[in-house]
Amino acid sequence: MTQEIEIAGLSKVFGQGASAFRALTDINLSIDTGEFFTLLGPSGCGKTTLLRMIAGFEHPTGGTLKIAGEEMAGKGPNARPVNTVFQSYALFPHMTVAQNIGFGLKMLGKSRSEVDTTVAEMLRLVRMEPMADRKPSEISGGQQQRVALARALAPRPRVLLLDEPLSALDLKLRKEMQSELKRLQTETGITFVFVTHDQEEALTMSDRIAVMSAGRILQLGTPHDIYHAPAERFVADFIGDTNFLDLPVTAISGDVATLTLPGGQSAEARLPAGYLPVIGETVTAVVRPEQAVLGEPGSGMLSGTVASSVFFGTDTHLHLTLSDGQDFILRRQNTADLPVPQPGTPVGITLGAGTLRVLRS
Amino acid sequence: MAAQTPDPAPEGEPQERHGWKWALNAPALAVLILAASGPLIIVAVYSFLSPGNMGGVAWDFSLDGWFKVFWTRDIFDPENVSWNWGNLTVFWRTVWLSIQTTVICAVLGFPTAWFIATRPPHRRALWLFLITIPFWTNLLIRTFAIQELIRGTGLLNTVMMGLGIVNEPVQMLYSDFAILLGMAYVFLPLMVLPLYAAMDKLDFRLVEAGYDLYASRFRVLWHVILPLVKPGFVAGSILVFIPSIGAYVTPRVLGGGRTMMLGNLIGLQFGQGRNWPLGAALSMLLLIIVMIALIAYLRTVNRDDGGRRG
Ligand SMILES: Nc1ncnc2c1ncn2[C@@H]1O[C@H](COP(=O)(O)OP(=O)(O)OP(=O)(O)O)[C@@H](O)[C@H]1O
Ligand SMILES: [Mg+2]
Repeated sequence: MTQEIEIAGLSKVFGQGASAFRALTDINLSIDTGEFFTLLGPSGCGKTTLLRMIAGFEHPTGGTLKIAGEEMAGKGPNARPVNTVFQSYALFPHMTVAQNIGFGLKMLGKSRSEVDTTVAEMLRLVRMEPMADRKPSEISGGQQQRVALARALAPRPRVLLLDEPLSALDLKLRKEMQSELKRLQTETGITFVFVTHDQEEALTMSDRIAVMSAGRILQLGTPHDIYHAPAERFVADFIGDTNFLDLPVTAISGDVATLTLPGGQSAEARLPAGYLPVIGETVTAVVRPEQAVLGEPGSGMLSGTVASSVFFGTDTHLHLTLSDGQDFILRRQNTADLPVPQPGTPVGITLGAGTLRVLRS
Repeated sequence: MAAQTPDPAPEGEPQERHGWKWALNAPALAVLILAASGPLIIVAVYSFLSPGNMGGVAWDFSLDGWFKVFWTRDIFDPENVSWNWGNLTVFWRTVWLSIQTTVICAVLGFPTAWFIATRPPHRRALWLFLITIPFWTNLLIRTFAIQELIRGTGLLNTVMMGLGIVNEPVQMLYSDFAILLGMAYVFLPLMVLPLYAAMDKLDFRLVEAGYDLYASRFRVLWHVILPLVKPGFVAGSILVFIPSIGAYVTPRVLGGGRTMMLGNLIGLQFGQGRNWPLGAALSMLLLIIVMIALIAYLRTVNRDDGGRRG
């Protein structure tokens, strides 16, 4: 794998003096060629700022940024082999769909016939051939989104930057466009850097995800890693639903700690890399709601009572209170013959092996 | 079911209401007819009458007013008709100076409006306010200020001589240049404001999209910004061109009666010239020039649009 984007020690401060605002701190990233890379984080964490620095709209305060091995400092957006799909699409309202798509090629000085061929190809790729001569105002939001995508892909950039391109679409269209995006990425082989604050979108589409918070990258890994082995509380909390349990450590061997559960039973939990608590210390462990199994009272490792239940169609979320008073959420698949336990019902909870993980604190 | 809800309003009522509305519109219509069309009709009628002895008009039908707009008769030989070059020159100068004023205002107005539109939002109000300050001052006073600036011993000449750029005062006053300078100065805000309004609506992300798609600064300006602020240019051009064509004070003060524009020619006929029908005919001509220019301009502008999209 060759590296398409290499970012080292990148930082960004907006403004000066008392009003200075540190939007990005010490960002280190390398993105592989042909990768679908996602920046995930809550609003205001600096995703757009990072994307705009890759595109060349903002200049870093410190650090280096290389694209295809070439240092990008001092290069404007029009000198970088990178195109952006803007959140608002930013289609040129005075040009037709076809003219929008052909704009980049025209600016690159391609011949007319070459522009026409590529535009036709792009229109086919995003399935917009019948609307080539319409104005952006005459097509729907989803269609505008596809045109924006085609316009950014037409000049065959090395990297495509997408800033929450699907956030303006309704749920159904969003799902449709997600698979469309994935298809386009596979077909073109172009590196995608995708920004979203939707964790589900990030998990389903990405090869790798960088979870950001307050201008920093907290964790970088595959969707599987991020979901199943969150390193920090923020990551575990931001992605999916999670149970946090504060438990004392009784023994440590290698990267596995033995914890005492409420009720006195012991359970083993994997430690995050490079984190070693001391015996007796209370650590935070997590377990996903769907990894816990409901049983009869007295069965399993934990016991508690049902506080409430919420019906979600495919599954039911049971809010439980553990014997020591901590809250616990358990997700159970709905089948026709399963009765929903009434509040106050005592239950037992079984945790599968390897489902409990300790967080870095 | 919403579709089956019976229409609450009976058939006849809206009709009746409509009748009432017309009655309520009557005062507005009266004002429009009397204030807008009334004087125009009077001027149109006057242009077909004969001049009175001490000014005013005599109620005899005559085409003389219109004739004198374009032609003159030899005083000694009334059969000898020739073009009235004096008037024709004034028409030409009027149209040409107005076009130049419009172009100058557009060229100066664009960067000015751009500057304001790219300031932080809370500062823009201040800049707009500064742009409109000249409107607060009487036109005549502003025009005299320009005169003061460019006259033989004025500020500009003094500075240029002081710097050794010229050895003797440059004659700037009482020329087409002086009129042009004055009109461009006076009408510039009329170009800046609509241009600013257009730029204010401009989505700057489109500019970024242009850069992102490999366009240079100049090509972003040409392919993205200019087409999008065109409505501002159109509105600004109309707002500058129309008062330029009818300008009176500026050419009077800065042209010094030596270089006249149509407005001064008309003024002359109603004053010293004592030829009201000719003045009225010239006024009608002014109106016609403005209308033709507007129609021609809007047509070209719209045709351009169609062409670009084809
Ligand atoms: N030009 C700027 N001047 C000052 N502060 C800025 C500027 N641009 C962004 N910021 C600040 O930097 C922080 C990160 O902004 P950014 O737009 O990158 O967030 P984001 O992660 O994209 O959020 P969202 O999901 O809401 O789009 C925000 O707190 C924002 O207020
Ligand atoms: Mg953003």
